[in-house]
This record gives sequence, C-alpha cells and structure tokens, in this order.
Amino acid sequence: MGLFDVKIISEHFDVPEARTLEYFERKGGYRSARKACGMGPEAIAAEVAASNLRGRGGAGFPTALKWSFVPKDADTVYLVVNADESEPGTFKDRHILYWNPHLLIEGMIVAAVALKVRNAYIYIRGEMARENKVLQAALDQAYAKGYLGERIFGTSTSLDITVYRGLGAYICGEETALLSSLEGGRGWPRLKPPFPAVKGLWGKPTIVNNVETLANLPWIVEHGGKAFADLGSGRSGGLRLVSVCGHVNKPGVFELPLTVTGRELIEDVCGGIKGGRKVKGVIPGGVSMPVLAPDELDVPFEFDALQKDERIREVEVRPGQKFDLGGNRTLRTMAGSGGVVVMDDTTDITQAAWRIIHFFAEESCGQCTPCREGTGWLAQVAHRIAFDHGRAGDVDLLASIADGIAGNTICALGDAAAWPTLAFLTKYRDEFEAKVRNAHRPKGAA
Amino acid sequence: MARHPSFRARKAVPGKELSTQIEARIQQLWPRFPEGRAGQALCLPVLYLAQEQHGHVDAEVVDLVAARLGLTSAHVTGVATFYFMLNKVRPGRYHLQVCTNIGCQLIGAYDVFERCKKRLGVDNKGTSADGNVTLTEVECLAACGYGPVAQIAEREKPEIPLYFENLDATRIDAILDALAEGRVPTELGS
Repeated sequence: MGLFDVKIISEHFDVPEARTLEYFERKGGYRSARKACGMGPEAIAAEVAASNLRGRGGAGFPTALKWSFVPKDADTVYLVVNADESEPGTFKDRHILYWNPHLLIEGMIVAAVALKVRNAYIYIRGEMARENKVLQAALDQAYAKGYLGERIFGTSTSLDITVYRGLGAYICGEETALLSSLEGGRGWPRLKPPFPAVKGLWGKPTIVNNVETLANLPWIVEHGGKAFADLGSGRSGGLRLVSVCGHVNKPGVFELPLTVTGRELIEDVCGGIKGGRKVKGVIPGGVSMPVLAPDELDVPFEFDALQKDERIREVEVRPGQKFDLGGNRTLRTMAGSGGVVVMDDTTDITQAAWRIIHFFAEESCGQCTPCREGTGWLAQVAHRIAFDHGRAGDVDLLASIADGIAGNTICALGDAAAWPTLAFLTKYRDEFEAKVRNAHRPKGAA
Repeated sequence: MARHPSFRARKAVPGKELSTQIEARIQQLWPRFPEGRAGQALCLPVLYLAQEQHGHVDAEVVDLVAARLGLTSAHVTGVATFYFMLNKVRPGRYHLQVCTNIGCQLIGAYDVFERCKKRLGVDNKGTSADGNVTLTEVECLAACGYGPVAQIAEREKPEIPLYFENLDATRIDAILDALAEGRVPTELGS
C-alpha cells in the first residue's frame, strides 16, 4: 500500500449510498463531531494548528492562523462555507458536495465548536442545482437525527446550518464578495483590513472556509493534528484534492500527497497525454495561476514549492524585467485551488490565453477602474492577437495593461487576470509575436 | 428626466404576484437570519424563485420582490442586474447554456457551441425564431474533467438538476433534437 492509497476525503467518492447518514455513520462518520463537542474550542484549535492544515480554496493560508484572528471576546461569530467553486479548471468541491455531503457537515460542526459558532451558512454556487439538492437532503437527515439544531448529540452545543445559493458570479468566491452577496446585495468585494475574522457578515467576526478545508477536520480530530501534518510536506499538512482536465487520458478528481509533481500527475495519475502527444503547458491551480512550461513540471504541486522552487521561471513584465509582486517578491506560480489544466502541443496558447482573459473580463465586478476597464482591454487585445488581427506592439501593450491592473484593485481578481497573462507572455512570447507577425493586414496597412 | 421603470414608488403590481410557494419559502427562511437582516438577505433567493415563477426578472418582478421584502426597487434592481443567472430578458422555452471556458475549450466546446448556433440560427444570447431555445455561452460550470458541458433550464418550470457532459456533435444533436420536440433529454444528463 503506497501513499496514493491513503484517502481522507475521497474514500467514498462514487459510492451513491455514501450520501446517506446511515452509510456515513457506519463508516465512522460523526464520531469526530461528537468528540469535538466534548473537546472544547482550545483543544480543537491546538490540533488544527498542529495539523498544518492550509486553506484549500486558493490562498493556502494556514487555517488555525485564520481562526486565531477572531477576537476572543466576540459575542457572535459566524462560520461561512465557501462552496462557490467557480475557478476554471477546479471541480473538486463539487465532488465533496455530491458524494460526501455529511463529511462537510461534520467538518462544520467541528469548526463551529472550535469557533463558538451558533449559526453557519453554506454559500453554494447557484449553478450546482444537483449538489444543492443532495446537500439539503443531508442537512435534513442530520437535523432529524438531532445532529444539528438545539443541543446537538445531547450536548450543550447548538448549531444551525443554512444553505444560501449564489446566482452566477465568479467574484462571489472571493470571501468578502461572498459576504456582500450573502447579505443580499451585489457581490462586491470589500477592502481588507478589516478582515472578515474581525468584521465580516453583518459586521460580526466571520470565518470563511473552503469546503475541502472543512472536510479535512473530522480526520484531524480523529487522528490528531500531528498525524495530518506527517502526511504532508514541509509547512503543508495532509493530502490534497486535485482536479485535472484538458488533454489527459484520465481526467478527474484525485486525492494525492502534496509531494506529487506535475509530471507524475500527468503520467502516473492521469495516464499521460491523449494520443501520445507531448505536453505544452500546465496550469497548476486554477486559471488565476501562472502556467508552467514542460521543463517546469518536476516541482511538487505543494504550496511553498510552487512559489519558491527555482526550477520555475519568474514571471516577467517584459524580457529581462521581473514582475514585482510587492515587497521585493517575484512571482513564479502558486498551488491555488488545485485545478490543473493540461494543454498538449496542439494547443494554440494565444487562444487559450484569450479565453482565460475573456473570462476575467466577463466576471470583473466593475468596482475598481483598473480591473473593470483593464480586463476589457486585455480581452480585446488578446482576442485580436489570437485570431490573426494583432497589431505591431500588441504583445507589449498586453503586458503593460496587465502590469497596470496587478496590485491596484480591492480584491485579487485584478491580479488573477494579470498574472496568467504575464506568465503566458513570459513563457510563450515567441508564439504571440509570431501571431502578430503573421496577422491578416487590411489592404494598404504596413 | 425619465427614470428607470423599476424606480417607481413601491406599490402592488396589478396582475402579478408572488406564488404561495414563494411565500412559504420566505416564512421558512426568514428566521434563519438575524433580526432586521432577513429582508435584504432573502433578496437573492426570492428573486430566483420569482424568476422560476415568471420566467424572467423585469421591473414588475423587481417591484414585487422589493415590496414584499421591504427593500427599495433600486437595491433589488442592482442585485437583479448583477447576477448572471437572473434573466433580464425573457428567454425561450428552453435555455441552453454551453460552457466554453478553458477546460471545455481545449476539448472541443467551441465546435459544440458553433453547432448549436448554426442549428438554432442564432448568435450568443439569441433565441431561435420559433421562441423555443435561447442559447447562451456560459463560464466554467465546475465539471472541467467531463466537458464540454452544458446546462438546460425550462422557463417557468422547476430547475433541472443535471449537467449534460462529454458533449460532441452526436450528443449535442440529440439534445437539440429533443428540445425541438419539446422535451428535456434528462436521459442524457448526469
């Protein structure tokens, strides 16, 4: 039995009965929730801190640290589950919601005890009608059994969970936009600080955690934080759900050790590239993250490694000028949401880049000028390059617009549009320039 | 200066009302939110249910929702226009939504989308001449490993909790044929 056989979350994926409370309990479910009710907040927080659990939504922020920002004397604390999975290439949370909804509920109970939460909300993507039904049915079962509501499991803990559906806005996956939406408004991000842990939903301290993050908590309570940390690598504990799409033989969702490299993921886990072709580029963590070239795939897909490993080139604004991430930091790439997009050597990189940029232009909430206008300009320029109408200077123009957006907006959507743009230009510049060189020219034009 | 019709003073809209099912849902959800916050918090869910009832969200539906929840029509308009899943224009009987984002693009989504456009004789966001199908290009539906993927909604009917995955010419033709016959091919969904 190798490391690939250890499963924390995905063990019962593809088992339809796993959605029922009876099956889940038979397999040991809700034991950790009961245990947590008797442990008390400090003991749970200590285990989570020891586990090195990092947020699985995209930022990889240590979960225990996020929790620790909640003021100790807060009278009301909210827990909000970010189930608004919309990062292109990412489809792992949808699997948890559909195959194992009770695992999320149990993780929420653990978190609620740790944070002294009485009311929790699950903000689920509106398009996920199927998962909404499954989740609601699981909640109804848990309520009927007395695992939710007043005095759960007969203890002094009470917890209500309410499902709230989004209505189709990528930006609502950003935690402050999510809160604006959950309050019944437009999904507009808010300036941070104050962070939601201090001032969140209706002005109260609020912890927003990703579905997968919470689904890891029952295992941590059962086996202890150290065991979880030991499964991981460096400062990142546990395993990771990775969703793979694109030109691989076996796309899907896989729960893997964090030490797995991009090449192992493609060759050993996903059965190689379709048709025996060669890989041309891999996006490691959702389309917001800089693409990796074929010679950068021997780095483990772990949070710190993808940010710091020198085998990955630093993203540039133009050849020789490194992109400044602020604070003297440069940008390689990040593990993001675990959404891996694999592109083979038949892929037109300029068209792939345009489609990603077009997405961000569609989804900009419109609050900040650099993003609202900038993503639109990026999309126009990227479109004309990709579809053979590029003009001289367009490649530099694209880079300059992207550099003008990055770091100048309330939320990270601006960066999410700029970073992949610059990374595509850094690593595939020749292709963009060739497209412009060979563009159709109107008659009489130079 | 002419004002947006939805900014009119709040009043009952003759001939249109929110269904008793929506009222029941409001009663059910109201206590789930803190004192004084429920009205606004219910703006999204009630708008979505009202769309299911009336087919789309126009100024009248905005007024109905605003009046019921004690919100200004301006706020509800702001919300209604922000979210993609709320139709501001009345769609055809079926609303076919095809993802063309990167995961689907790489494996042929634009071929599928172009085929839909050609067969329906419409452009993106267009409705076929017989009013039967509205075609919309949508962003990632979180099914990237099983693409190209589409979702179908039927106007004024309960939502269809299915995705239509692994689309190719054959499968999209079967879907379009079924829609033309006036039925949603749920057997092709998952």
